[in-house]
Amino acid sequence: MNEMLRRFGLCALAFACAPALAADWAMDAAGSRLEFIATFERAAAPGVFKEFDTRLRFDPDKPAGGSLDVAVKVTSVDMNIADVNKEIRGKDWFDYGAFPQAEFRSTDLRRAEGNRYVARGTLSLKGVKQPLEVPFSWVGSADGATMEGELTLKRGAFGIGTGEWAVSDVIGADVKVKFRVKLRKAG
Amino acid sequence: MLRNDADAWGAPAKLLHWAMAALILVQIALGVMAVAWRLSPTKLNLYFWHKSTGMLLLALLVLRLGWRLANRAPALPGGLPAWERSAAHAGHALLYVLMAALPVTGWIVNAAANIPLRIFGVIPLPAIVAPDKALTDLAAWVHRGLFVLLALVLVAHIGAALRHHFVKRNSVLVRMLPGKWSRP
Repeated sequence: MNEMLRRFGLCALAFACAPALAADWAMDAAGSRLEFIATFERAAAPGVFKEFDTRLRFDPDKPAGGSLDVAVKVTSVDMNIADVNKEIRGKDWFDYGAFPQAEFRSTDLRRAEGNRYVARGTLSLKGVKQPLEVPFSWVGSADGATMEGELTLKRGAFGIGTGEWAVSDVIGADVKVKFRVKLRKAG
Repeated sequence: MLRNDADAWGAPAKLLHWAMAALILVQIALGVMAVAWRLSPTKLNLYFWHKSTGMLLLALLVLRLGWRLANRAPALPGGLPAWERSAAHAGHALLYVLMAALPVTGWIVNAAANIPLRIFGVIPLPAIVAPDKALTDLAAWVHRGLFVLLALVLVAHIGAALRHHFVKRNSVLVRMLPGKWSRP
């Protein structure tokens, strides 16, 4: 009850209530990592988004009513190969100029079992919005919590690699995404 | 006949010679096309086949060197001037060195550029060096230089074999051909 009053009070002070943006967990960028593994001629080709931010409203005991908002600076992508990093800026790939940011938003968080949860939401990437389920594990600690998970995306669904690059025998169709997000209580 | 003797090459030595000869020609074509092609999936495929074939050639070279060390090489025909004998030995030694150095420098380029490779899509190739931009450029330059040298030595090798056959009329060329050949 006190918590509700406090929230209401803050909302009233700010003259705006945007529940999806309210976050009671903030990301510790130094301890967090968002990586992906593409494939090149059936060999793993890893990459990382160096800059992203996670805002989370979440009670592991009562996940309903929570929300997850992950903003990814697409232009911070690094595949650690100079020629590849140059190429993926272009229109056929991430198209830095038109789509510098990607976002995942969910207001539907559920417990799967034990410390495993699923966030159902929408991924906006390169101008395409697709429903997406993000599974994650939750481990709380004295100074915060860590959420970890992985999922597989079809790059073609988001137009990552268009035109002649759409064929999947050289650059594979599936891209595995892995994340480890370190969170601390905000405020 | 499996083993080499004083006059003839055994079947394994001939097989390795001609299999590698054919693969080296394919390899040169793949490499030249990969460099020339505009950036596209086809270019990446050409590099993939070039790199895979290069590692196959390196494996075959190890077999071939082992076989060569375990067997004597047939003697050169009698009556050759000393400079021709020296040139033949030096040319063959240089071919062996180039057949090792080309795949190894290619491997260094691939690893230094941090490019993942599964040979023929099957065997993961370990990185021979850590990622390094300067080393990538250096090794690529050496790789291309060695290729030019190989092309020159191959022309000399084929030219010398033909000269032995058509000018000097000895058995140096025919004794490397499959089956049993002799010339009166």
